[in-house]
Amino acid sequence: MDILKDLAAIAGEKFVTCDDSVLSEYTADLSFTKASKPEAVVYPGTAEEVSKIVKWANENNMPLIPVSSPIHLYGTTVPKQGGVIVNMKRFDEVLEIDTVNRFVRFGVGVSWEKLTSELKKEGMRVIMPLAPRGNRSVATDHLEREVTTSMVYDYGEPTQSMQVVFPNGDIFRTGSASAPKFPYSPARGANPAGPGLDFYRLLQCAQGTMGIVTWMSLKIQSIPRIDKIKFAALDKLDDASGFLYRILPRRIGQECLVLNNVDLAALLASDAEEFQKYKAGLPHYTLILTISGLIRRPEEKIAYEEHFLSDVMRNEFQNIVLTDTLPGFPGASNKLIDILRSAWSESRPYWKNVPAGAYQDLFFITKPEKAECFVEIMKDICGKRSYTFESIGIYKQPIEHNRACQMMFTFYYDAECEKSAEAVKAVYRDAFEAMHDAGAYFTRPYGDMAERLYDRAASYTAALKKVKTLFDPNNVMNPGNLCF
Amino acid sequence: MSINIHAYKAIEAVVGSNYITQDPVDCEGYRSGPGGYESGTGYERVMTKLPGAIVMPRTTEDVQKIVKICGRYGLPFVPYSTGFYGPRSHPHVENELIIDMKRMRDFEIDEKHFFITVQPGVIYSQIQQECFEKGAYVVIGGGGAQTSAVANLLNDGWSPLSFRVGLPQRRILGMEVVMPDGELVKMGSLADGDDPFWGEGIGPDLRGIMRGYTGLLGCLGICTKMAIKTLPFQPVIPEPTGISPETTLALDPKRVRWINFTMPSLESIEQAHIMIGNAEIGGAVTKVPTFWRAIAKAECKEEFWDIWQKETEESVANFFLVRVLLIGYTSEEQMEYDYNVLCDIIEELGGKERRTKPSDESWFKNADSAGMWLMTGSYVSVDYVMDTFTQAFKQGPNYRDLKAQYTPPLMPDCKDLGWFQSCEMGHLGYYEYLIYWDQREDTNGMDQFYVESAKMNIQNGCYPALLSSHQPLYLTGPAYGPGYHEWILDLKAVFDPLWICHPPLPLAHDEFVKRAPWMQEVKNWETPEEFPYPENLKERMKL
Repeated sequence: MDILKDLAAIAGEKFVTCDDSVLSEYTADLSFTKASKPEAVVYPGTAEEVSKIVKWANENNMPLIPVSSPIHLYGTTVPKQGGVIVNMKRFDEVLEIDTVNRFVRFGVGVSWEKLTSELKKEGMRVIMPLAPRGNRSVATDHLEREVTTSMVYDYGEPTQSMQVVFPNGDIFRTGSASAPKFPYSPARGANPAGPGLDFYRLLQCAQGTMGIVTWMSLKIQSIPRIDKIKFAALDKLDDASGFLYRILPRRIGQECLVLNNVDLAALLASDAEEFQKYKAGLPHYTLILTISGLIRRPEEKIAYEEHFLSDVMRNEFQNIVLTDTLPGFPGASNKLIDILRSAWSESRPYWKNVPAGAYQDLFFITKPEKAECFVEIMKDICGKRSYTFESIGIYKQPIEHNRACQMMFTFYYDAECEKSAEAVKAVYRDAFEAMHDAGAYFTRPYGDMAERLYDRAASYTAALKKVKTLFDPNNVMNPGNLCF
Repeated sequence: MSINIHAYKAIEAVVGSNYITQDPVDCEGYRSGPGGYESGTGYERVMTKLPGAIVMPRTTEDVQKIVKICGRYGLPFVPYSTGFYGPRSHPHVENELIIDMKRMRDFEIDEKHFFITVQPGVIYSQIQQECFEKGAYVVIGGGGAQTSAVANLLNDGWSPLSFRVGLPQRRILGMEVVMPDGELVKMGSLADGDDPFWGEGIGPDLRGIMRGYTGLLGCLGICTKMAIKTLPFQPVIPEPTGISPETTLALDPKRVRWINFTMPSLESIEQAHIMIGNAEIGGAVTKVPTFWRAIAKAECKEEFWDIWQKETEESVANFFLVRVLLIGYTSEEQMEYDYNVLCDIIEELGGKERRTKPSDESWFKNADSAGMWLMTGSYVSVDYVMDTFTQAFKQGPNYRDLKAQYTPPLMPDCKDLGWFQSCEMGHLGYYEYLIYWDQREDTNGMDQFYVESAKMNIQNGCYPALLSSHQPLYLTGPAYGPGYHEWILDLKAVFDPLWICHPPLPLAHDEFVKRAPWMQEVKNWETPEEFPYPENLKERMKL
């Protein structure tokens, strides 16, 4: 087998490389995953080329690691058993924006920055996670089930159809895009379900182990005509718990989240010095709530939401004071609306790199009422490990009218300082285990945590392995991840 | 009719003699039809059998033990709860065991986190009332409030109330499933604890194998527990009024209102659906078949026909009514806002508000499937297609024209275009086409229409829901995906290598086409000479 020659025959010579400097870009990422070098990188340009690469990999028992973004956070693209990186960056076209049926279809290599700017031209937007990196693949983030800041839509996730190259090389369209003649069919790909099975669910959070997605379609919304942002200063997460249980099921707000002073300072600051200033001046926690006037009678929509909020605060939650300006930093208030609705531009340091240069996120799903208990667990672990609790970012993201939430703890550290990195590793591990024991539900198992999670979920793991074996009998798709 | 005596004894030891029977009288009670969804079809006559025995487990452990015994003795079984899906939910091979889940009827509501955990014997009407009292509602599927919530959500679950959350599978959270080998697989947050509040799996989500667009009709295991997402409602509990069967839910018009609008054209109805979705208001938007209005008015079959026969193709073609549900989720002021926005839209489109009863006759209360029997005694939703409005509004004329070729035996409906509605805030346009027939007539045309509609959708590039569950897999499989059928068959082989769980699904409709002589004239797709059944199933089916 001559890897370069074989892959060049499929994708073309200039789209294959085993240049050491290129390979080294894929040996490690921003996680603590052990470094490992791939054998080559291939840049296919069509689904047919991807299919041929997958078939070649099966014939040669060669692991394939699909990659869509230039930056990786959780170790999923580090080649744990060697292999070839399949870089999907050439799939970078926004294929269609349908403003009547409100969806967008785009290649897996399209970045947040590109997608949001293309949608803006059409007066549309897509619900998004908190300030994602502008150069990250939108499709990957949705495949990874990144939780969005918008909690008002009952349907939750915006993902619709996708095209995937399965591990046997079959090119397959999921959902209603599976219809014959697509994309020239009356079926436009808006329905994620089916055909027969909900394939999209098997592809989500699969970390590239179930196939290589080439494009995806997402629901989009009209950009609101008016937005108002409101803040409440909190001492503890629990201070707003009852309030959020009260207002969010009543469909108040567009985006709603709670950040501690560390995370909010990171979002607002442009450098480390400014970060310290914000961190010192912000309340322990800040509840951020946007209310939006949509395309019709926007003032009236804002008015009824504000009236409802006033009534609830006056009659039931006198402890909550919602203000139109950010406590401590009134001038920064309007900046936050832009932050919530935009991808983070590549032209400035990513917000999570501002405090210390590097970071690790620990996140899971739980019930909102349990959030404070996880903060206490973190405090306890920090105490035992002599780690500064006050340096940790805390982010609570209500989901679907607050019926659940995502808790995220972010450890900011100096990557150049080995001691600092080791301290984070230790606290991270302890916190993961303690929170898992306390009922935190980790739906996205990365790196070492996968083993513990899958061990405990024995029956689920056994069934999942059967499914994986069916789809990828040679285990060529990104082996070494999840329980595969 | 009987099952293996050793298997019977072993199962009896699990549940006790009160909860297993092979008495022919009891078995007769589980005959498919004579009145019911999809009853009186050729499929029913050719494919359904009386069960050999019926067992009623009480616990998940009971189900596991029963399924394992079935595996040991090669005894085919079919899970059964309320049996709404007519012939599809009845035994298809001789001497099959029905595992009737009616005794598993516990439920628990978590009002704060908007979900309700149910066993498969729980029906919607029970939990809807509980939800109302806790400021929530469940979406009752078209099968009606008398159906098992679990079975409905695994196999169907569509409803006009799908406006806010359209796809039934999104309402399925944590669940536990007894697989065909008797092993229990817990999904969602149940995989890692006792709280079923979250549906997504650890990594890839195995709910993906439990249903697709529609479900697998119980051929890949038995769900014994499911947490179902409920939706935040408004605080005023709808009040049941009237005397059965003429009951309604009285609504407080300041918080819940159905409003009918007369529109100038079909195009304006389509625009109304799109614009209301884009404005993000409302709780439902729908255009129902015209003859449903006659059903609503009639108290008996004769009265229905008296009313309906006054209609003509012209009157039906020129009757444009859109029905909108407004819910004051937030407050009365929000309700007013929604109403004002709605009126703006309707005015722009040239529509006019009609006087509408301040009650809910059907959708919240019971999704009145019973009324569908009124006209001819038999009916089926031949398909649901769900994609964009671009697709939905193209489907009406397609089905109307195809149906004309099969009327009779299908009921004359003055070329009505069918049922449209908006799902997921207008992101999805829903189209459903129901057909009605008198089963005393020659119904071969009905069976043929079913398959012809699948061919029509393939030809037109439309996406129907009943691909795998109600159509020949070898007809639709190569067309969609393409090749989705191969994955289903492979999955069946992996999880149920003996095909003891509701055989011969997922190839039941293929088997029907093979066996029914009148289907040969419409069969023009390729199928393998032999279906990939294991030897034990071939023997049982005498192949």
